[in-house]
Amino acid sequence: MTPSGGDNGDLRYAKMQDVLRARAASLAQSQEEEVSVDALGLLLFRLGEEWYAFPIDGVREIYNDFMVTRIPRVPEFILGVVNVRGEIVSVTDLGTLIRVPSRTHQSIESVMPAAIIVANESSVTAVVVDEIGDIVEVPHDSIEAALSTLDKAQAEFMAGSVYLTGRLVGLVNLRKILEPIGETV
Amino acid sequence: MVEFDRSAFIAKFQEEATDLLQRLNEGIITLEADPSNRPLIDQWLRDAHTLKGSSRMVGLMEISDIAHRMEDVMVKVRDGDMTYGPDITDAFFEALDTVVFLAEHAGKPTAAEADVEGVTGRLAVLAGSTEGATPVKAETPTKAPDLPKREAEPDAAHVAMEAPEEAQVTASESEAESRPVAEGGGKRSKADDTLHSKEQTTVRIRTSQVDRLLNLVSEVVISQIKDEQRVRDLRGAAAGAADALQVWSRIKTMLSALPHEAQTALDADLHVLDDLLVEQRKHIVSLAKDYADDSSRISTVVSDLQARAMELRMLPVSTVFNTFPRAMRDLAKTFKKDVDLIIQGGDTELDKKVLEEINDPLVHIMRNAVDHGIEPSADRVAAGKPAKGTITLSARQEGDHIVIEIADDGAGIDPERVKAAAVRKGYITESEAKALSDREARYLIFEKGFSTAAIITEISGRGVGMDVVREFVVERLKGSLDIDSEFGRGSTFRLTIPLTLAIIRALLLRVGGQTFALPTTSIEETARVERSAVIKVEGHEVIRRQRRTVPLVHLRDILGIDSTSDANGKIPIATLGFSGHRIGLMVDEFVGEQQIVIKTLGSHLKRVDNVAGVTILGAGEIVPILNVPDLMENGRQMTGLRVRHPGHVEKDVKHKGPGRILICEDSFTTRELERSIFEAAGYEVETATDGAIGLSRLREGLVPDAVVTDVQMPNMTGFELTRAIKADNVLKAIPVIIVTSLERDEEKAEGISAGADAYITKSVFNQDTLLDTVERLIR
Repeated sequence: MTPSGGDNGDLRYAKMQDVLRARAASLAQSQEEEVSVDALGLLLFRLGEEWYAFPIDGVREIYNDFMVTRIPRVPEFILGVVNVRGEIVSVTDLGTLIRVPSRTHQSIESVMPAAIIVANESSVTAVVVDEIGDIVEVPHDSIEAALSTLDKAQAEFMAGSVYLTGRLVGLVNLRKILEPIGETV
Repeated sequence: MVEFDRSAFIAKFQEEATDLLQRLNEGIITLEADPSNRPLIDQWLRDAHTLKGSSRMVGLMEISDIAHRMEDVMVKVRDGDMTYGPDITDAFFEALDTVVFLAEHAGKPTAAEADVEGVTGRLAVLAGSTEGATPVKAETPTKAPDLPKREAEPDAAHVAMEAPEEAQVTASESEAESRPVAEGGGKRSKADDTLHSKEQTTVRIRTSQVDRLLNLVSEVVISQIKDEQRVRDLRGAAAGAADALQVWSRIKTMLSALPHEAQTALDADLHVLDDLLVEQRKHIVSLAKDYADDSSRISTVVSDLQARAMELRMLPVSTVFNTFPRAMRDLAKTFKKDVDLIIQGGDTELDKKVLEEINDPLVHIMRNAVDHGIEPSADRVAAGKPAKGTITLSARQEGDHIVIEIADDGAGIDPERVKAAAVRKGYITESEAKALSDREARYLIFEKGFSTAAIITEISGRGVGMDVVREFVVERLKGSLDIDSEFGRGSTFRLTIPLTLAIIRALLLRVGGQTFALPTTSIEETARVERSAVIKVEGHEVIRRQRRTVPLVHLRDILGIDSTSDANGKIPIATLGFSGHRIGLMVDEFVGEQQIVIKTLGSHLKRVDNVAGVTILGAGEIVPILNVPDLMENGRQMTGLRVRHPGHVEKDVKHKGPGRILICEDSFTTRELERSIFEAAGYEVETATDGAIGLSRLREGLVPDAVVTDVQMPNMTGFELTRAIKADNVLKAIPVIIVTSLERDEEKAEGISAGADAYITKSVFNQDTLLDTVERLIR
């Protein structure tokens, strides 16, 4: 990551710096919302072969064995809605969003194995996952920028990554996942 | 002038005053025992001051005066100029009782019974300020006729302005309910009574609490609906048991044909089975009956509970209507019209949520009525009508709906003009226009971006407004809209709105194995049609219903659902009528009609095309509720009826390739400015330095999509150019936009009479208005 000389390299370096700054800023932002202690609670989950995590503060509950009702003409990553004790909650397929092939496939009104209901002040959604893992605590400063190998589409939905017991876990950008859909239409 | 009902504000003041008065009374009692309690004195002064201010705000000047006098006395006590004694207590009690009486009788003629003069006089004497006594007298002759005088007081001016009407309205409104007034000395005890009963009969609750309660009530309603389903299931089970018993008795008869040994061997079992079946049937039948009885009893309670709960959120429409007299005055001024507003039925009650949504559509309809409905006074007189126009805003309840009408005695809506404009702008085809009834034609004004205005100016003709009405009334409030209009006599807009937003009737139907709910308000007809009745016209399917051709579209295509279940039998078709259009939705199956509780799609899915929300059915099944306006819009596009989507003008322009504009303008700066605006927006621009050059370029065969012209130019003015273009059979279709610094009405009128399509004054000229106007005209 050193400037490799020449205009081209400088330009690329500058761009990279911009990206990193932006990422650092978004990271800092998402941390501000969490309780400012040194440790950050994470709920781990598996999508396909890879492990990801939600900040525990954004997790409302874990929801099992539910029927999804399909809603016509919604974005591909919205599988439909579920009835959580009278409250209607959308079901998000994170795998489609970040292009990770997962076991979960959208079939009409099929029973889904597990979902994590995440929420912020403005929105709620149930994110379908393949397996729910542990809750871990990591120091704030162990969060690194998201993997640079991610393509742009994926990078948007990642707030960073953290190295845990031999594997790299992607920290999901909740704000992005919970962005209301269809507001501008 | 129009009546302005301040009763809502007075009610708020009364609520507040009740609290204040109680504290003031308690304070006096405590002070009597502890006259030097400084914090209490300070608190008391603050309360008296609040009372003074609030009463002044609602125009109850007598109360304000009394509070002011009490303050004077208490300030002296605080500053040590006076010692608190029983004489003060007595005077204060008398004063507070008078205030209670005045607050209770605010605006009623009985208020004049109070001896305000005596009370303030005694307080003034107590305060020992002889110099204060005179202004008191001058300020408090308390009799209603004096009220207009208050306008002079700066604090109260903004409310007091309406005071004379207020006195009138409330007097007539409350005459019936105001009790006969007790004579003379009874005042004090009566005031005490009312204070007490008031405390006991009202509770103030936060709306969020009411909403939470209502949420729970709708959950109960949902389980009640489930319950009714279960009653039907149980009845089915009972019928099944009866069938089983019948079959059994037939088998029993046949069993007697068996050899004796076999019969003996089976005897015990047969008896058991026999008894069991009979018992079971009896049991299920009685269970079903009891359950049905209980359920119907509960259902009465539940619907009562629901109605009562809904009432908690009901407010009189006057809370919204009250702002209109003022708004109407402003509108009349803006459009230079002379209009009276009459308000009727202001006490009709409506759900608070509905009320919040109803304001905007009403404003738009009123604006429309003033702008397009009411004619200029001269025209009215010429037509034999009173010079002053009248707009009547009224509300009434009809069953479980509220009907709000806005009637004007203006020019009315000419259906032919609306049709012509709609065809010109591509909303409907020529043949569709012919098939439209006058009523349907009038409905076109609710289309997005629709305007019949012959010319676009800064304030009207932009076609924004009436589509907002449709969006609010039909989409958000699930109501319906109707226009009655007699050309030359006036128009009436009728909004029919359900009392509550929470529950509607819907037709349940199935498409591609999924159930959907379609609100019944927009369904004109449901029918099962023979396949042979479907006619193919230009690649599209239609049916003939009641001597009309109704275009058909598969609901599955609108919703993008894969479904192959093309049954061989009759096709279920639900015909939607909306905004003057009809469309037949082909579905797989009708399930039935029932009441449903509307829920939103949740906070994540803010808006989904075609889906208005969801409901939860008996077994906890979620059913999407279809959004009729979306279905119509998308369905019409699919059937090819919608020529172009007015919402996507820019896209269409791009599809056609760059548009071409001819600019006629003698000023170099303006010409180049306009050129750069249009070129930046992707247009090809031709220019001419005066009208004559412009006209000759057009005659030479230049075919622009629009002509933008200045007025004052050498050789030929913009008006002359416009007239020449509009008089030419080949050129007259080209829209002409006049951009000028002449902004007097007469000049505008000349532009209109010349045949210009839009008139933009340079003072409001900017990039957006210019482009927007051109795009509107050339689509």
